[in-house]
Amino acid sequence: MKKYQLGEFEEIVILTIGVLYKEAYGVAIKNEIQTRLSRQVSMGAMHTALVRLEDKGYIKSSAGESTDERMGRPRRYFEITALGKKAIEYSRNTREELYKSIPKVALNLKIVGN
Amino acid sequence: MQKNQTPPRLFHRFFRWYCHPKLVDHIEGDLLEDYGDRLKTSGKRKADIRFIIDVLLLFRRRIVRPMEGSHHTNNYGMLKNYLIVGWRNLLKKKAYSAINIFGLGLGIACCLLIFMYVEYERSFDNYHTKGDRIYRVIHGNKNQSTDEYWVWNNAPIGPALASNFPEIDKVVQFSGRSDILLTYGEKIFQEEGIFFMDSTVFDVFSWKLLKGNPKTALAAPYSIVLTETAAKKYFGDEEPLGKSIKGTDSPGRANAGDYLVTGVMEDVPANSHFKFDMLLSLSTFRKSIPDIFTNWGYVDFYTYFLVNDKFDRARFEQKLPGFIERQMKDPNNRYAIQIEPLKDAYLRTPAQRQPGETGSLANLYIFSIIGLFILAIAMINFMNLSTARSMERSKEVGVRKSIGANRKSLITQFLSESLIIVYLSMMVAIVIVTLAMPGMISITGRALDIQQFITPQNIGILAGISLVIALVAGSYPSFVLSAFNPVMVLKGMSKSGKSGVALRRGLVVLQFSLSIALIAGTMIVYSQMNHILNKDMGFDKERMLILDYNYDFQVNRQREAFKTEMEANSEILSTAFTRSVPGGYYPNAGTEIQTPEGKMNGNGQPIFQVGMDFVNHFNLKLVAGRSYSRDHPADTIGNLVINESMAKQYGYTNPADIIGKKYSQWGREGEVIGVVKDFNFTSLHRPIQPLSMPLEPFACRYLCLKVKSDNMTATIEKVHAIWNRMAPHRPFLYSFLDDDFAKQYQKDYNFRQLFTVFSCLAIFIACLGLLGLATHTAELKTKEIGIRKVLGADITSIVSMLSKDFVILIVVSMLIATPVAWYVMNKWLENFAYHINIQFWTFILAGLAALIVAVITISFQAIKAAVANPVKALRSE
Repeated sequence: MKKYQLGEFEEIVILTIGVLYKEAYGVAIKNEIQTRLSRQVSMGAMHTALVRLEDKGYIKSSAGESTDERMGRPRRYFEITALGKKAIEYSRNTREELYKSIPKVALNLKIVGN
Repeated sequence: MQKNQTPPRLFHRFFRWYCHPKLVDHIEGDLLEDYGDRLKTSGKRKADIRFIIDVLLLFRRRIVRPMEGSHHTNNYGMLKNYLIVGWRNLLKKKAYSAINIFGLGLGIACCLLIFMYVEYERSFDNYHTKGDRIYRVIHGNKNQSTDEYWVWNNAPIGPALASNFPEIDKVVQFSGRSDILLTYGEKIFQEEGIFFMDSTVFDVFSWKLLKGNPKTALAAPYSIVLTETAAKKYFGDEEPLGKSIKGTDSPGRANAGDYLVTGVMEDVPANSHFKFDMLLSLSTFRKSIPDIFTNWGYVDFYTYFLVNDKFDRARFEQKLPGFIERQMKDPNNRYAIQIEPLKDAYLRTPAQRQPGETGSLANLYIFSIIGLFILAIAMINFMNLSTARSMERSKEVGVRKSIGANRKSLITQFLSESLIIVYLSMMVAIVIVTLAMPGMISITGRALDIQQFITPQNIGILAGISLVIALVAGSYPSFVLSAFNPVMVLKGMSKSGKSGVALRRGLVVLQFSLSIALIAGTMIVYSQMNHILNKDMGFDKERMLILDYNYDFQVNRQREAFKTEMEANSEILSTAFTRSVPGGYYPNAGTEIQTPEGKMNGNGQPIFQVGMDFVNHFNLKLVAGRSYSRDHPADTIGNLVINESMAKQYGYTNPADIIGKKYSQWGREGEVIGVVKDFNFTSLHRPIQPLSMPLEPFACRYLCLKVKSDNMTATIEKVHAIWNRMAPHRPFLYSFLDDDFAKQYQKDYNFRQLFTVFSCLAIFIACLGLLGLATHTAELKTKEIGIRKVLGADITSIVSMLSKDFVILIVVSMLIATPVAWYVMNKWLENFAYHINIQFWTFILAGLAALIVAVITISFQAIKAAVANPVKALRSE
C-alpha cells in the first residue's frame, strides 16, 4: 500500500505538471491550479508539495531561463519521472476501482434524495 | 521594475534569510513574478499583503534552511565541536562538574529567591493606576525631623487642602483602624480591619468595586463596603447588596447602628501598605461626632490626595508653610505638614503611626548584598576550579594551537564551555527555587508567587545574567589557557600548577572573608534577638491572658463584678482593666503639669488609660508616691500616676518632688500621686518614652488576667464559661500578652531566619569550592605524598602538609572579615534602642567555625590521600 504515497494536494500538483508539460514552473503551476480548480493556492503549500514530490522521486527539476519580471532569478521547470507516472496511474486505478465497487443503488438513492 | 514596485523589503529579506539555500533562487523568482502579476491586476497594496502572506506561509519545515551544517557558515561546525568537547570534559570529571554546577546553581538560586523577595517588597502599592499622582500628608512640628512626624492626624487638613490648591483633584481621608462588633443573623464577628473611609476612595485608589456604584457607595452614613472575602463570611452565596448588618458603636468614632451594604469590592492585594476587610462610610463618623471634623487638634485621620498634571512637587511644598499659617491663624503655631508620595509609603517613609505595616529598605539592601556575596562565592569556586584544572587542558590547547587555532577562537571555546556550565547551573537553580518556594514563603511571610515573576522582562534579565556570569567566571581561565605557548606545553614543560596560584589564594581569601562575615553576622543577629526576648521589660508579661471586649459599656460598668467572679478561681491571681497593654496601641495626650517653679508647663506623651489595679497587676515598681486605691475616692475623679521619664520631661530629676503637683490633661485636673519605674511599653526598637496612666475605668478595652495554672486549656475554658455567663452579648476573644508582644518582632524573626539560611548556604558553597581545590591539590601532590610515605612520613604530617596552606588563608580571611562585619552589624544594631555591644570574641568564634568546617572539608580529602597505598601513587611512573 505504502508503495506510492501521494497526498491529495500533491496529486493535483503532479497532474498539473503533466498538463503543463514543458511549461511547468512555479507560478504557472499555481495559476493553472487556481483557474482549473478555482481554489486559492498559497506559495508555501505548493512549494512544500513540490519539494516533497521531488524528494520522493516523482518529479525532477531543471534550471530554466531567467526573465526580467523575476529580477534575474531563474525559473525551475518540473517534469514527471517514470516513477511519478506509475504513482499517478496507481492512484487513478485505485480510485476507479473504488468507484466501480460502489453499488448502483447507493448512487441512485442519492440522486432521488436530491 | 521601478523602485516603488518592489515588494516589502523587510519580508523579502526575511524570506531570503530563512529559505533553504537550494530553493531560495527559484522560489524567490516565483514570488517576484507573482508579485509583478498582482501589481498589475490588483494594485500595490493588495500585492504587498499577498506577498507578505505568501512569505509567512512559506515558512515551513521543508523550505526553511536547516539549523546546522549549512554550507555558508563554517562556524557552526566549530562551535558544535566546542560544545562536544566541553560536554565530554564535564563527563570526564564528574565530581568537579557536580561541584561547579551544583555550587553555582545554589548560588544563583539564592540570588533568585532574594531577588523575588526584594521585587515583592518593591511592588507594594504599584497596582494603583494613578499611583504616581497620589500623595499623602504627614504631620509634625516645625522644629521636628520627619522621623517624628505622624501620618495620622487631624481631619480639617483634608478639606482645607482641597479648597486651597487647584492642583489637587481629590482628597480621601479615613479614620484610624477601628474595631467593631458586627452582627448579621446568627453571625457575630469582632472586625478589626476596618476604616471609616471617604466616598472618594474609589476615585483615588484602584481597588475595583465589583458590585455597587463607586461614586455613591460610601456617601451616605451607615454604608458599608465589604471585600469579597468579608462578603462571603457574612452572606455566603446570598446577594449582599441591600442587606443590612448591625454594628455596635466604635468608641470615639461612630454610634451603634445598622449598616447598609452598598458595595462589594475585590480583596485588597497583599502588597498594599494598608489593608482592610471592609470600609464604613466616613459620613457615619461625621454624623456621630461632627465636632471632630473641624478640630485641628484631634488626631484620628489619614489624609491622601490625588493631584492633576498642574502639580509641581517643589512648588507645592514651598506653598505649604504659608498655607498652614493661614489656616491656623496663630502666631505661636508649631504645627507643620509635609507630603509623601504613595510609592514611598511602604519602604521609604520616615513617619510614625502608619495605617498599616511598613517595610525596611535597609533589610532589602542587606539581603541584596548577601545575594551578591553568595553569587560571588559560587563564581569564585568556578574560577578557582577551572584555573586549577587548566593544566589538564594544556595538551589540548597545545594541539589546537599547532593546528592553527588562534587565541580568539580558544577564548571562544572556553567561554562557551563556561556557558554550558552556567546554563546547567541555571536549570539546577530553577529546580532549587521551585523546591524552596514554600520555605521562602513561610520564612518571609510574603505571598511570593513564582508565576508572577515569569515575565518576558525577567526571563530576559535571567538570560542576561547567565551570560554575564559565564563571561566573568569564564574569562580568567579562558585567558590563562589561551595564552599557553604550544611548543612548551607539548614538550611537557609547562609552568606546572603555579600559574594563577596567587590569584586562586586571593579568591579563597575573599570567599572566606565573605563567609566569616556572614557567620559573625548571624551570631550577632542571634544574640541581639536573645537579648531582646530575655531583657527584663519592667513589667510582668508571662502567663498574662488578655481578654478584648472592645470598650463594651456593659462590661466596663460591671468591672468590679467581673473582678470578683474571675478572682474567685484559684488559677487567677489578679485581674486588671486597661485601655492599652504593653506592646499594643496607645494614643498620645497633651498634659500640663506644674514645674518646680510653679508654672503650668505643657508637653505631649503617650497615655495609657488604666483601671484601678493596673500598676499592681503588671507588677510595676513605684519609685515615689502611691498607686490608685479604692480607699481614695478622689483617684477616680482626677489623680494621676506617671512614669519616671515623664517626671524628667517636666524637669523633676527626683521623682518624689513631682508628687502633689497639679496637672491638667484631656479635661481632667488633679494631682500627681505616684511615679512608677520606667518600663518598656513598646518594642525594644524604641527607647522608653514618658507615659501617663490616668484612671479611666470607662475608657478601658481589655481585661487582663494573671494566670497560674498547670492546665492552661482548662483554665481558658473556665474563663470562657464565666465570660459567657456575664457578657453573653460579647464574643470571647483572648490572647496572651507575651505572644502579642513577640509579634512586634515578627519582622526581626523573619530577618534572622533569612539571614541564617543564606549565611549557611554561603558557607556551604564556599566549602564545596574548598573541597574541590583540596582534591585538586591532593591529586597534584600524589607522587610527593607517595614518596614521603615511603620515606616514613605518618598520616598526621601529610594531612597537616595538605591543610597548612588553607589554614593560613582562612586566618587572613578572618582579619579581613572582622572590621567589615563589625561596621555593617553595628549599623543594623542601631535599629534597636536597646542593643548588645558586639563582642570581639564573636569574630574569633566565627573564624574558628569557618576554620573547623574548612579543616573537616580538607581533611576529608587529605586523609584519603594520606592513607592511600604509596605503591599505587608511584607505580604509574
